[in-house]
Amino acid sequence: MSTQATVATTVFAVFMVATVALGLLAVRGRGGQGGLAEWSVGGRSLGVVFIWVLMAGEGYTSFSYLGAAGWGYNYGAPVLYVVAYMSCGYAVGYVVGPMLWAYARDHQLVGITDMISHRYGKPWLGAAVAVLATVFLLPYIQLQITGMGVVVSTISYGTISLNWAYFLAFAITTGFVVVSGLRGSAWVSVLKDVLVIGTLAFLAIYVPLHYFDGYGPFLDRLAEQKRDWLTLPGHGGADSGLGMAWFASTTVLNAFTVVIFPTTVAGYLGARNADALRRNAILLPAYNILLFVPMLLGMAALFVVPGLAGADSNLALFKLVVDSLPAWAVGVIGVAAALSSIVPMAVFMLVIGTMWGRSVLSHVPRLHSQERQKNASQAVVVLAGTLALLMTYAAPNTLVRLSLISYEGMAQLLPMLLLGLVWRRLGTAAALSGLVVGVGIVCALVFTGNDPVWGINAGLVALTANVVVVLLVTFAGPKDQDVRPDRDVLAKEPLVEEPVRA
Amino acid sequence: MIVRPHLLWLLVPFLLYAGALPFVNRVEPTVLGLPFFFAWLIAATLLTPVAAWMTWRGDRKYRDKHGKGAAR
Repeated sequence: MSTQATVATTVFAVFMVATVALGLLAVRGRGGQGGLAEWSVGGRSLGVVFIWVLMAGEGYTSFSYLGAAGWGYNYGAPVLYVVAYMSCGYAVGYVVGPMLWAYARDHQLVGITDMISHRYGKPWLGAAVAVLATVFLLPYIQLQITGMGVVVSTISYGTISLNWAYFLAFAITTGFVVVSGLRGSAWVSVLKDVLVIGTLAFLAIYVPLHYFDGYGPFLDRLAEQKRDWLTLPGHGGADSGLGMAWFASTTVLNAFTVVIFPTTVAGYLGARNADALRRNAILLPAYNILLFVPMLLGMAALFVVPGLAGADSNLALFKLVVDSLPAWAVGVIGVAAALSSIVPMAVFMLVIGTMWGRSVLSHVPRLHSQERQKNASQAVVVLAGTLALLMTYAAPNTLVRLSLISYEGMAQLLPMLLLGLVWRRLGTAAALSGLVVGVGIVCALVFTGNDPVWGINAGLVALTANVVVVLLVTFAGPKDQDVRPDRDVLAKEPLVEEPVRA
Repeated sequence: MIVRPHLLWLLVPFLLYAGALPFVNRVEPTVLGLPFFFAWLIAATLLTPVAAWMTWRGDRKYRDKHGKGAAR
């Protein structure tokens, strides 16, 4: 091992140990009690600050370090759709977040599959959605494993092979999530945010100065030589399909999808009260300003390390870092990037565990006690992580394909969940037929290489068909036999009643 | 049925990021050296919290008027 590798790897190892220790510390004295609700939604007791860091943490994954720079490198401006949909998503979340939070609190629910079971009064529907959602979530875990693996391997200057790095990523994260749960993730999010903000702010200043004598010359050079990168549809040109219609449709679709994404909902449900969520919707968009940095750095890499192709373009930012900074700094930036994988991955696993614990395994009579439900959920977490790891080794391409449909597929749950929570007439048959049609169209379009279709995000096209089917079946089909009163079934934004209850 | 008209503020980010695209998708004029499209999106990112805050302020007034024991 070279000196550089030793230094960077040691810095990395020290921080990883500190991470797990912090996770353990967070749950000390609480871990034993509270069962599934404490582990999965932090006992619904996290305040504004914790929810802020936790949700910012989820939005800010290893994609920010690797993918955003890679997209910036390959295409340029189109990658800014991430900023666009996250900002718009917080605006939608201002209304939806408190609504879901109150619904979950009033009926003791811990996730979206739970909400669906309750809304339609059909536990099997919740179980089915849990399975579907897991299929859409696994690729994200795998993306984080590969993302963190690449980081670990790079900062060890190649000493740790990729395959070992993947395993390390899996082992650290799975161990972490099983011991610490949502509360621990929130704590580690704080450490991560400090590092992410610090390193990105530093790089934003350092890289242009080091390579281009400042921002002026850097931006001038971009405008002169890389003009394609600076507007839509980006460097790929019209063929890439990443034009304005794509940007706008993806922004709108993802803004609505992100608020029902199981991991976002986990963040919502951890909140102490509804207003914590509204305040977050105000504060969080500001965090997005940081996303401009990796993208600009990705474009800077165009001049410094030209010719990266395929998956290597994801390393655009790290090539700059390794090229221009001493080993200890490489180690610290590696830690920041690794933590941006660990926190979201932990929350993804936590969500899968909770979904299965509540919506699937609860149908097994032997698992009825709180404690057993939690243990079973934790077993599912380990299983899901193992599955993602195995697929990383055995069938990496399957998951890459699945990740293409993840977001657009999850979007198809919108009518069933959100429309269902505000519109009583929507019945099981209608919601389910819409979902089937929507997911079917997404798969068909994506797997035949037709996304975007007519310049528009395929998920939005599928969602339109989904809603049409929902409406048709609702008005043409039989009425649902559900005798419960509206207030047990529908969700309401807790605005007026709230101060009275508190 | 517009009981909370201030919720319309939440449309602002959608207008800034999606609606305005045809007018802002350009390199010139540069703003402080930044290509116009980037500068626009940065401005939008800074204005989104303001829009959300306006909504929140509206909700606070609404709550003072209708909540806390006031007649419903």
